[in-house]
Amino acid sequence: MPGFSSGGVGGGVGGVASAPPRPFRPSRYVPVSAATTFLVGATTLFFCFTCPWLSEHFSSVIPIYNAVIFLFTLANFCMATFMDPGIFPRAEEDEDKEDDFRAPLYKTVEIKGIQVRMKWCSTCRFYRPPRCSHCSVCDNCVEDFDHHCPWVNNCIGRRNYRYFFLFLLSLTTHIMNVFGFGLVYVLHHQQELDTPGAAVTMGVMCVAGLFFVPVAGLTGFHIVLVARGRTTNEQVTGKFRGGVNPFTNGCLRNITHVLCSSQAPRYIGRWRGRQMVEVQPPFLRPALTEAQLEAKVLDNGIQNDRHSTRSKSSLDQMESQSADAEAPPPPKPELRYPGLPRADTEESSLLTEAPPTPSMYKYRPTFNSPGRNHTALTHPNKMIRGESLDSPSPSILQSSRQPSYRSEPSSLDGTTVVGGGVGVRRGGGERGEGPGGPGGTAGGVLGGMSGYSLTGRSYTSYPSSLVLSTGGSHSSSLRSAHTAHNPLATLHSEGTTDTSYKSLANQTPRNGSLSYDSLLTPSESPEFESTEVVSPSTPLQGYTSPFLSAQIAQQREGQLLQGSATFSSPHKAYLRAVSPPLPSSAGPLETHHLLQHNQDFSSRPPRNPSSSSSSPGARLLEPPVSPPPRGLSLGKSLSTSRPVLANHTTSKPGGGVKKVTGVGGTTYEISV
Amino acid sequence: MAETHSLQDMRQQAAITAKVFIQRDYSSGTMCQFQTKFPSELENRIDKQQFEETVRALNNMYAEAEKLGSQSYIEGCLACLTAYTVFLCMETHYEKVLKKIAKYIQEQNDKIYAPRGLLLTDPIERGLGTLYSDC
Repeated sequence: MPGFSSGGVGGGVGGVASAPPRPFRPSRYVPVSAATTFLVGATTLFFCFTCPWLSEHFSSVIPIYNAVIFLFTLANFCMATFMDPGIFPRAEEDEDKEDDFRAPLYKTVEIKGIQVRMKWCSTCRFYRPPRCSHCSVCDNCVEDFDHHCPWVNNCIGRRNYRYFFLFLLSLTTHIMNVFGFGLVYVLHHQQELDTPGAAVTMGVMCVAGLFFVPVAGLTGFHIVLVARGRTTNEQVTGKFRGGVNPFTNGCLRNITHVLCSSQAPRYIGRWRGRQMVEVQPPFLRPALTEAQLEAKVLDNGIQNDRHSTRSKSSLDQMESQSADAEAPPPPKPELRYPGLPRADTEESSLLTEAPPTPSMYKYRPTFNSPGRNHTALTHPNKMIRGESLDSPSPSILQSSRQPSYRSEPSSLDGTTVVGGGVGVRRGGGERGEGPGGPGGTAGGVLGGMSGYSLTGRSYTSYPSSLVLSTGGSHSSSLRSAHTAHNPLATLHSEGTTDTSYKSLANQTPRNGSLSYDSLLTPSESPEFESTEVVSPSTPLQGYTSPFLSAQIAQQREGQLLQGSATFSSPHKAYLRAVSPPLPSSAGPLETHHLLQHNQDFSSRPPRNPSSSSSSPGARLLEPPVSPPPRGLSLGKSLSTSRPVLANHTTSKPGGGVKKVTGVGGTTYEISV
Repeated sequence: MAETHSLQDMRQQAAITAKVFIQRDYSSGTMCQFQTKFPSELENRIDKQQFEETVRALNNMYAEAEKLGSQSYIEGCLACLTAYTVFLCMETHYEKVLKKIAKYIQEQNDKIYAPRGLLLTDPIERGLGTLYSDC
């Protein structure tokens, strides 16, 4: 399996989820070539024509001093250019798939009392840590992202900011030196300006003077940034405008941190020591109690099969409706589970059925508590340790196959398989039409789930609930639309959403996020699990598509955690298991909105690629709201439709174009 | 791959495992710290004190790695003076501490976690994103 990327180099982590090879774009190299040419060329001319006279006339210290400064400039330039800025390895797709459908777009953490949002990066498949940003030019998430500098053709991030800063300082000094000494030379040769020496010196002075203004300006800008403890990205996007910067430790400490801290390690291309640990073998896991399972999902972002179960069951039907063109990359079970013949057969069969759904994968951010599964590297790691990812997956596959397991890569479910029994149970629950019929231990559950999925005929095409994540909003919206007629379907989605919410709830409450506290409580989850399975037929009026829930969650985050009763209730209703439907409000209505918005969004070109070459000093913005905004948009639509939630109708706002304010303060126009 | 095979076989026979993720604690900024909150999933697998102690020790080590102390300062000066060629021969302070951390994790695994059927992974392999324990 492609997970092994031991030799990863900067800019590209190999592995399963790596992006397709980027085309060679020579235009990217123009600024850096020009910068190098000017720097080296002008300085060489200076040394050849001006310095000999200066060393004779004044002292030989001058050329030496200039040489030292020039070498220092060059060294910093090379380090800034070639050093890995702190690229995060891409998280493995398979691992996150199950979460992709459920996770909200944002996750909030509290840093020194200030709420900071971590956004889901759909390309790299993890929640970007604070100060991390995705560079569209390099197509990588970079830690402590400052900007993408075209003059060095590299991102400036945590690891190489110091070199970039020193490069600017030394370049400014060097330019001043060259200009100053050139001026001295010219002033002494005023009568011989036609000599080559003087002419060249004047030329060099012109170049130096020309570059001095922008370079000095940029240097001054960065001095201010360093003193304030901000990155260019933060300054330009106005993140802390009028607010407090949680990342600053005081002027002096900021400066020492930039200049004197130890070189940060690289995350990609590391040698992974093979860990051969003797783990006691049959750490057979007893079937987890409901509470434990619940905790797994909620607490600490534990990845486990519950997640998959929930997401599967709830989003299963949603997925089938996905109209997104992109298909999630199919799992490659053969490669992943070489030692598990059972899994192989299952997986291959699964693959053959694989349906499209896919876009969901791509767009729906997963609430992956481990947040950053940065990992192409984790895969090999897992392999080495025979990690659970591989082993659980087959089991999950088995169970899940029974109902119609289609395109859902087993790996999605995989990582968190908790136990054989649980896995089976989960599998049964999930999928929509079950081709093979539920088989496993939790026969009843499976049966129930199958029946459940069957009711949502429109959705059954979509295989596993796990897969829900794709195209988050987009597909879910489509599904939602369908589900409007099918409360059961919504139930599924609800479940998924619940899961995500729960996870989110777990995450955020710890940080004091109020909004999620009112959300699902751990105790509800088990109920959810069991009840859902048991009584699939109960129409759930308090329907909230998982996607919607996620949107709501996002919405909430955007609103800074306003506890929302409306939000909670659908969840609770859902949790109670399908029995007492809750204020249906959310469900169908949201679905419609969701659908509308999604469709609208899907047609919109993704926004952004913000940062392309920006001149240093200008700004580099990380795509503020990158693709996943589907979810975002939905959230917005939800917020706008929130007051309407009470209606248990699927009516939508009047036609036309609606302007919705998104979570991030962006506005979307949604054709209603 | 052969190793993988055997481990997988072992796993296959054993049981399905799960992952328990211990998230980063960002409350004090972007410093690398992990949450010491005891995941309930590990409740009956390991002693809470033990776990917290492990995470605290890791946090201390990461803090030491990122410390702005004399060693990092000297290293920086030396690097500047040698036009960063010193990085070719010498290991940075952070890397040294990372090695220490890897050793510590290995040792914890051998002594405490493996006997209980758990396995801690080194967070650096995941970009210092999460610390996770395979159950």
